[in-house]
Amino acid sequence: MTHSNEVNQVAEELPLGETPWQETLRIFKKDRLAVVGSIVLVFLVLTAVFGKALTEWVVVFDPEVIRLPDKFKPPLSFPSEDIVPPEDLPSVGIYLLGTDELGRDVFARMLQGSFVSLAVGFIAVGISVFIGILLGGLSGFYGNVKLGIITVDTLIMRFTDVMLCFPTFFLILTVVALLGQSILNIMVVIGLTSWMGTARFVRAEFLALRKQDFVVAATSLGLPERRIIFRHMVPNAIAPVLVSATIGVATAILTESALSFLGFGVQPPDATWGNILADGKGFIFDAPWLFFIPGIAILVVVLAFNLVGEGLREAMNPKLRRR
Amino acid sequence: MNLKRWLLIAPFLLTVFLLQSYFWVPTYEKQATGNPKRLVTYIEGSIADAKILNPILNADTASSGIVSHVFEGMLDLDENLDLRGRLATDWTIMERAYLAVNPYNRFPDGAEVTGSRVADRITTALSRGQLPALEKIVRSVRVLPPERRTETVPVQVKGKDGKPTTVEVPVTLEVPERVAFSLTQVDQDFFTRLTPIIGDRYLKHFPYEQHVHMPDDAGSEIEAQIRSRFPELLPVAEHNPEILFHLRKGVRFHDGHEFDAGDVKFTYEAIMNPKNLSPRTSDFEPIKRVEILDSHTLRVVYKRLYSPAINAWTMGILPEHLLNEETMQREMETRGLSQAARESFGMRDSQFNRNPIGSGRFVFVEWDSDEFIHLTRFEEYWEGPPEYHDYYMRPLPDSLTQEVEFHAGAVDYYATLPHQVARYKADPKYQAFSSLGFGYTYIGYNNRLPLFADPGVRRALGMAINTEEFITYLLYGEGERVTGPYPKNTEWYDHSVEPLPYDPEGARRLLEELGWKLNADGWLEKDGKIFEFNLITNLGNSVRKNIMTIAQNAWKKIGVKCNPAIFEWAVFLKDFVNTAEFDAVVLGWSMGIDPDLYQIWHSSQAGPQQLNFVGYDNPRADDLIVRIRREYNRDRQRDLAHQLHQLIHEDQPYTFLYAPLGTRVLDKKIVLVNRLEDGSERYEKIFPIKSGDISFYFQRWRKLDFTPEF
Amino acid sequence: MQAFIIRNILQRLLLLFIVSILAHSIIHLAPGEPSEVDPSNPRMKPEDIARIRAAFHLDDPLYLQYAYWMRDLFTGELKSFKDSQPVLPKIWRKFLNSLPLFICATLLIWTFAFPAGIHAAVRRGAVYDRSSTFVAYMLISIPGFFLSYLMILWVVDTFGVPVIGMRTFGMENAQPLFQTMDRVWHLVIPSLMSAALGVAVLSRYVRSQMLEVISQDYVRTARGKGLEEDTVIYRHALRNALLPFVTMFGFLLPGLIGGSVIFEQIFAWPGLGRLGYHAILERDFPVILTLNFIAAVLTLAGTLLSDILYAVVDPRVRTRLEGEE
Repeated sequence: MTHSNEVNQVAEELPLGETPWQETLRIFKKDRLAVVGSIVLVFLVLTAVFGKALTEWVVVFDPEVIRLPDKFKPPLSFPSEDIVPPEDLPSVGIYLLGTDELGRDVFARMLQGSFVSLAVGFIAVGISVFIGILLGGLSGFYGNVKLGIITVDTLIMRFTDVMLCFPTFFLILTVVALLGQSILNIMVVIGLTSWMGTARFVRAEFLALRKQDFVVAATSLGLPERRIIFRHMVPNAIAPVLVSATIGVATAILTESALSFLGFGVQPPDATWGNILADGKGFIFDAPWLFFIPGIAILVVVLAFNLVGEGLREAMNPKLRRR
Repeated sequence: MNLKRWLLIAPFLLTVFLLQSYFWVPTYEKQATGNPKRLVTYIEGSIADAKILNPILNADTASSGIVSHVFEGMLDLDENLDLRGRLATDWTIMERAYLAVNPYNRFPDGAEVTGSRVADRITTALSRGQLPALEKIVRSVRVLPPERRTETVPVQVKGKDGKPTTVEVPVTLEVPERVAFSLTQVDQDFFTRLTPIIGDRYLKHFPYEQHVHMPDDAGSEIEAQIRSRFPELLPVAEHNPEILFHLRKGVRFHDGHEFDAGDVKFTYEAIMNPKNLSPRTSDFEPIKRVEILDSHTLRVVYKRLYSPAINAWTMGILPEHLLNEETMQREMETRGLSQAARESFGMRDSQFNRNPIGSGRFVFVEWDSDEFIHLTRFEEYWEGPPEYHDYYMRPLPDSLTQEVEFHAGAVDYYATLPHQVARYKADPKYQAFSSLGFGYTYIGYNNRLPLFADPGVRRALGMAINTEEFITYLLYGEGERVTGPYPKNTEWYDHSVEPLPYDPEGARRLLEELGWKLNADGWLEKDGKIFEFNLITNLGNSVRKNIMTIAQNAWKKIGVKCNPAIFEWAVFLKDFVNTAEFDAVVLGWSMGIDPDLYQIWHSSQAGPQQLNFVGYDNPRADDLIVRIRREYNRDRQRDLAHQLHQLIHEDQPYTFLYAPLGTRVLDKKIVLVNRLEDGSERYEKIFPIKSGDISFYFQRWRKLDFTPEF
Repeated sequence: MQAFIIRNILQRLLLLFIVSILAHSIIHLAPGEPSEVDPSNPRMKPEDIARIRAAFHLDDPLYLQYAYWMRDLFTGELKSFKDSQPVLPKIWRKFLNSLPLFICATLLIWTFAFPAGIHAAVRRGAVYDRSSTFVAYMLISIPGFFLSYLMILWVVDTFGVPVIGMRTFGMENAQPLFQTMDRVWHLVIPSLMSAALGVAVLSRYVRSQMLEVISQDYVRTARGKGLEEDTVIYRHALRNALLPFVTMFGFLLPGLIGGSVIFEQIFAWPGLGRLGYHAILERDFPVILTLNFIAAVLTLAGTLLSDILYAVVDPRVRTRLEGEE
């Protein structure tokens, strides 16, 4: 009987009179892994923004300079000043993470890549969440409206089933391969193939919420639908969306790296961690850092996203916390 | 608790079962030393699996590798890249030339032209020594009677739905008397050499209208098209080169059936059969007919002068008895195909392509798709069986696993990358070979664009790129600079042409002379437009990707803005190259051994889907190209090729970058085995032949159980 | 119950039709050409290409191409563009190759995920729970090919045994037992790699299901009655927690096709994923389309199966359905 006591103790400690968000935050803070994960994420976002700034706007780290004589320098090595022309030397005077096959500064490339990788993740998830909420919401709220012979709900849910019919990765691969792998295509395709889960549980949430007292009350008071949806229902359904979006970003980054591995990822000149890793794999015996640095970076970041998502899930799960 | 126990035991048992299998597996060590069969087995790793094992149908590298072992051609190339007889023991090239009697013409002395008079006058001139160049080559002169025949001519017209369709138009030809010459060798200038006798107007004027009759209802569009083809339908002067092949006797296919002239003729007909969808039709299209003289003698007659045509006979010969009409019918019966499938059933559909039978050194055994292809040596091979008993090809799609398998000795050979070769060269366990092949890499500019119209611009762009540095650092020295369109190891390449110097300053000066000035942002500008273009290449080639990055960087330094982009091969071809909708491309060619550059450089080949996609257009080059492909004399051909090389180098339609060295890495234990008279063996280090190929003597390769010292 | 099944089957057939049309149009409208009609062979003339295009029906209107595809698919005469071999036997052979890998990975996933997940749920918040959470998320977060490479290099370096492909070469004459075990060994690493993600995800799922069930009243009651903890967990709680997993069996099937492209590529496994990947690269439309079609059939069959299973095991659904009839 020992383990179950812990669960009960958690429940007993609940102070009264805090809002659900405060409660969520409090529980979230208890999850040390999730806290570490969120620190990593904050750091990552800063890196991405500074990375963008330092590699493109105020060029401190230039990811594009090629110095062939300085190829495959290990991390923390100094440039060969006698061969490389002075204007091409790294501005900090050292290759923090070494150089790649063309003598480009891996640190600068990783900085530049962090922004692109994150952008791919966020935009793809943005698209998928948008479609998911839209279709799930429509289906959940207006599900009974008839369009000819079928209801909106049937139509949308059948379409969701159609989309689920394709093996996702294979579908992404097919579309990206056939339509060309521009960064935009990749983001859109990942987004367009990953909204089905969101749509399904937004619909479920809406269906449940519609029967809840406060919505029934609001409806009978004659409040406009828009207001009911956006003021009462969306905020209540947003919690699981947030969780799945956090994990979705992680998945999108992984998907991009898998596509890169098969040669269908984001193409140069855009560097992403995925394509740095995929390029680096060929040199695993010659320049292992080209393989390990992006690999570990992806691991850490995706892990952070996942842990934060998991922390949020735990913290927001009403069934688990009110017990 | 039962369930709990099972939940824990199940994963444990599964783990134990899976991991114990480790003890049954031979280690790499054991495979190499504990298995004497391994020494006589050659395993080649390949990125891709073969597609179709049929010499007339395959078009991919993996398939042709296997096909070249299983099938044998009439000829192949020897150490010096000269043709050598295989299924043919020897061959002679001759010519039959025909001169139509043109009755509306007159001889220079005013006499009327008739067949017998033409023949007489030429014979007389020859005997009097008035035609010194022809004296030795004319064997006989004959007059052929006039004839009338009907031919169907395919013509492209717009169909009802607006799409171009082909219609067959019957055309009646009134062929006049002709004088036939039998020549001992081919001479593209044969007819011009006759002008002192027949007059210089003779060849140019012929009243086609009176000899070619079209159907009355043809319509003006069709008539115009046919009219444009009159000289081709009824040539005044016609060259028919001929090759007489003597075939090797006693050669058998792997199933024991004897090879003869019928198989050669069958192979030719199979290629030309439209049902078979062979990608090689254009190689054999110049052939007029193939005549069997006896079971082992064969004459091939060509429609026109085309000296590289003989190279097509290096292709493998198919066994007729396994692929003829009758056998195909039987296969359709056995497979129970529907009517629709039967109608389109061609050789491409036959199971033969997965179980090929040829007459080459190796006998096909088994093909497990994506896993391996197994061949075993042909004990009755006419030159004696190869040293290796078994040959495997393993498709290993990932470059790193290829390397791992090679390291471990589970694969004897894979296509090594330059950076890997650099590593293996330092390893005493391996022998590495680098040698020139037939390929080169270039940056091609769309010559039609005003931006690149001036050769000076193209030259300047080339001068801005440091190719030497590229070769040193990125290819680890496994490349050589090239200056023109021919493979460097053939005699067609002119070694006296100097490569462009690396001179960014000079490049900038050159552009400035052409009106390009640096603007405030650091880009070159002319007439308000900055020097900007897109540079594209195909996906999956890391070297090209690097070239692109380096070129972009180098051009940035002289103020030229270049936007690189990579596209997947299919998209790359369809949307950019075939439609000429590109600015510049990074690409490579793999050339043949013949000096014919018609398809890549002739201005007529610049249309959609054709290979002169950069749109190179120089009348002088066009003339040289045509003369080269019609020339049968090797020395003259070489002179012309050198001229063409220089011309193209001056024009710089491409920036010719480098020819990659073919790199091969093998275990040092693999050697050439020479069997001596007394039955003993002498070992020799493997060496590349002139073409760079090290596997020329593959038939004598074997792995030893010790590392020999040479 | 019968009506329920029939209605479901009909619905799914309609879906299948729509999916096949969608897939067909996406693939045919996309840029790029089958590699057989590529002029990458310098000797290939436009006429030859036109001939091949005609043989592949590439210039016909889309609906006709669709009709040809369907006709050939159902008469079993559909041919690959690549080598003109019949598509269905080709897919079948690859399927047989993928199957052992799939079964082995699935066994690993299901046998490991349950004890791991249940244990974590029972010890919620304890060191085991946290560390297994962490490990699970490590496995979810690591790029599959990154892990595979590390694994291959480690195994080859340390143990010196082959891990690539379906079997060791040169063992054709070995004892059957040796050959079988050799094949088992070649399964181990790739199936471990493809199971890693599955174990992590499924064990997390088991854990949350168990947590949910443990907090239910009847479990508390059972505890209250003073039953042994193991009995409570494994007899009362687990039975109910298992319910949603029954439906997951249905979703396993489509994983056969798409799930393994990368691993089959790395381990040179001659399976369905690799077939599909190469078909995409070569624009071998009949193969891509048929694979997609089969994937859709499998998914639909899977969902049907899970619906039925669910109806069978969950008394509430069953009574509702029976009430409908």
